[in-house]
Amino acid sequence: MKAKLLFLSLTILSAGLLCAAESPQVGSAAPGFTLPDAHGRIESLSKFKGKYVVLEWFNPGCPFVQKHYRSDNMQTMQKEFTGKGVVWLTIDSSAPGEQGNLSPAEAQKQMADWKMDPTAFLLDPTGKVGREYGATNTPHMFVINPEGKLIYEGAIDSKPSTNQSDIQTATNYVKTALNESMAGKPVATTTTKAYGCSVKYAD
Amino acid sequence: MVTRRMNCSRGVALALLLAALLICPGQTSAQMFQGHNLVQASLIADTTAIVPGQPFTAGLLLKMAPSWHSYWRYPGDAGIPTEIKWHLPQGWKAGPMQWPIPLKLNEPGDIQIYGYHDEVLLMMQLTPPARIAEKSVHLAGDADWLVCAKICIPGDGKVQLDLPVANSATAANQELFSKFRAQLPKPLPSGAESAIKWTREAKSFRLTIGDKSLAQKASVDFFPLPKAPTVIGHPKRELSNDGSIVFTLPFETAPPDMQSLDGLIVFDHQAWSLGSAAIQSTGTEEAKPASALSGGLLKYLLFGFIGGFILNLMPCVLPVISLKIFGFIQHAGDSRRKIFGNGVAFAAGIFVWFIALALLMIALKAAGHQITWAFQFTNPIFVVVMSAVVLVFALNLFGVFEITLSSRATTGLLGWSAQEGYAGSFFQGVFATVLATPCTAPFLGSALGFAFAASAGIILLMFFAIAAGMSAPYLLLTAQPAWLRFVPRPGPWMVHVKQFMGFLLIATLLFLLWVLGAERGPDAAIWTSAFLLALSIACWMKGSFLLPGASLARRSLVLGLMLLLVLGSGFYFIGEKFAATKIAAVSLTKSDWVPFGPIRLQSELAQGRSVFIDFTAAWCITCKFNEASVLETAAVKEAFKHYGIVKMKADWTNADPVITKTLKQFGRVGVPLYVLYPASAPDKPIVLPELLTQALVLDHLQSIAPKLALTP
Repeated sequence: MKAKLLFLSLTILSAGLLCAAESPQVGSAAPGFTLPDAHGRIESLSKFKGKYVVLEWFNPGCPFVQKHYRSDNMQTMQKEFTGKGVVWLTIDSSAPGEQGNLSPAEAQKQMADWKMDPTAFLLDPTGKVGREYGATNTPHMFVINPEGKLIYEGAIDSKPSTNQSDIQTATNYVKTALNESMAGKPVATTTTKAYGCSVKYAD
Repeated sequence: MVTRRMNCSRGVALALLLAALLICPGQTSAQMFQGHNLVQASLIADTTAIVPGQPFTAGLLLKMAPSWHSYWRYPGDAGIPTEIKWHLPQGWKAGPMQWPIPLKLNEPGDIQIYGYHDEVLLMMQLTPPARIAEKSVHLAGDADWLVCAKICIPGDGKVQLDLPVANSATAANQELFSKFRAQLPKPLPSGAESAIKWTREAKSFRLTIGDKSLAQKASVDFFPLPKAPTVIGHPKRELSNDGSIVFTLPFETAPPDMQSLDGLIVFDHQAWSLGSAAIQSTGTEEAKPASALSGGLLKYLLFGFIGGFILNLMPCVLPVISLKIFGFIQHAGDSRRKIFGNGVAFAAGIFVWFIALALLMIALKAAGHQITWAFQFTNPIFVVVMSAVVLVFALNLFGVFEITLSSRATTGLLGWSAQEGYAGSFFQGVFATVLATPCTAPFLGSALGFAFAASAGIILLMFFAIAAGMSAPYLLLTAQPAWLRFVPRPGPWMVHVKQFMGFLLIATLLFLLWVLGAERGPDAAIWTSAFLLALSIACWMKGSFLLPGASLARRSLVLGLMLLLVLGSGFYFIGEKFAATKIAAVSLTKSDWVPFGPIRLQSELAQGRSVFIDFTAAWCITCKFNEASVLETAAVKEAFKHYGIVKMKADWTNADPVITKTLKQFGRVGVPLYVLYPASAPDKPIVLPELLTQALVLDHLQSIAPKLALTP
């Protein structure tokens, strides 16, 4: 009996070790990464040290992403904040064969079609960066401060729906976090539950 | 009624919707996608009429296309829950949505979501005003949902229902409502409240459930219901050493004064609500376990008797039984009295072991353990001891050494193998029975399953019946020695038969070593063999040097060396090397089998596939026999493939508690068990007999195949 319990414990223990992967939390350093963009340029997070960086997880087929692009909400934010010196990185972690997986050429076309205006559109078909950040949704937003620390993680705004008319009445968490931090104030809402479609990672 | 579509123009969508409207006038809202009906939403009530002032239940019924799912209140890492906005007449009240227990589904990238497959009924209590002037009432609402398979598509639609107003009403849609009411979480049982403890740590909440009855369940899970602004990670079951169930729920953010989370404790197909989640559970229908005790007892005792009788013929017992027959031949010339005495002693051995086993199981059950048939074979030390006993027995039959009954010290463990004497017969009985346990004979499965769920007295009675069944042939044979007349006269041929039986035992030993290998890896089998080698040398020393005529000094020397050899090698090979081997990972060498898991099973069934489960164990000979002679044959493999049936293997070699629990759900306490879940009726699994034949399996597979071929 005792021996049996021991084996049982060992099994549970090893199972526990397997799923011990942790995603970064707000307040900790944002993990570095290097990814190619839609034009084949290689971008690294380390290059943008000293600047605010926004990470936006993207999948053009996802109705929640479409909500923020078809309403021009996302593009307006991209323009507003890149104009203020913020680096905006749109990241596509859809695996090959899954919805939203784009070739560089398709990504360029998508940018033109939707008049997207990020600093760079990064392609992460292996999902390595997405998994490292624990990005589960599209859109899933992360804000990194000039010291390289994560200051916001979660939803784009407070109304989880695909309804464009909700955007006007929702609290935009990304905007708020950036504005608060840029004004030298602490960020009030640092973590929210992201909403959207699941990121289409490879099996 | 509007349905959003991603890839078609609105006009086409509208046309499709109009078509859907014509088919189901005023009732159903269909969500179309690429010409397929993705979701059908409708509103139903559990009553035929509205009685003023009297609450009733309405439900939003979502029927989803295969493999698509909608979401629970807490959707998990992605997705959004289904919603309804009521447009009710003046004076009406609508209660909160009652959510059936969802399925937990895992998507690539460690994404965990909670949702529903196939169909779900989201119930709400509606209370009409005390006075209604109209003859009928129009109930309507706007429903919003998200369905996802690989991709996600939001849908919405107006659902409506017209009901007459009357003074009395009868129940309607009973089947659907009772099905989903049974799936609602229940409030925490009053006794269990004190067993729930929450603690908050730096970055997680810790839920400790000290409920004994839950600790026995195979799979207990916690489905969290965090409310904004709380953001949490995945609940994780922790190791606990005091028998309680512990979950940690890492949080990314939680209000500083928050001490606990709402959520569901999910087990089997039930759930208990914790916190304010309880308010929404109004499930009252309690499934009452049918009391099979009264009428079935005699029938099951008879099953036990027959099962015990058949055990004699099972492959694991055969070597010992052959020896017993052999013993009868040898004793054929003895007095009737002596022969019968031997028969009684043999039967007594069988009874003593079974009764001892029953008492042990009763004790374990009282201590809150899972009890199972052949559980001792899941303990590797037991298998090592069995190997040693079988080998020593075989060496004795080969004539390497003789047991001298006159010696004072040998009456113990070795005494059983003596070919003469009541003690010998007694221990042979014990030995045969010990070897019998990894086999579950026909009838035995259902009989044991019945007994293990019952009281201590019934368990004892059942084991008594099995012992009686197994010993019956010997008692009869020895009581009527005239029947032995037909066996040949004793002679030198018996030495050869004796030696041949030794080889049968070596074959048994090979099987035991293979079990060890399966349980603990090949190293375990090798180290055990090393110990067995040392043991053989000790036996040879006894046979060659420990002769009755030898001097005391020489005898002591040989005995000392023997002890040194056995204890030394036992300590080194078993105590050190063997103990260091790790439990072997379950490996599925046959790649067309998937490992069994309750969630996997649910998910496969939810996707409309039939599932066959082989509950097996490395030490279960009946299982191996069935696999080799039926399940792994070309014809049967082909049939599984042809009908698209998912094959799952539940490997119970190391007594996996999840599998133990599942066995118990089928009223079984041991393997083999073969279960077929037809896609057409996943709630009515078919249990196949313990001994399979090709024809039987093929018949069953064919019987559940859809009558119309679904091939395009």
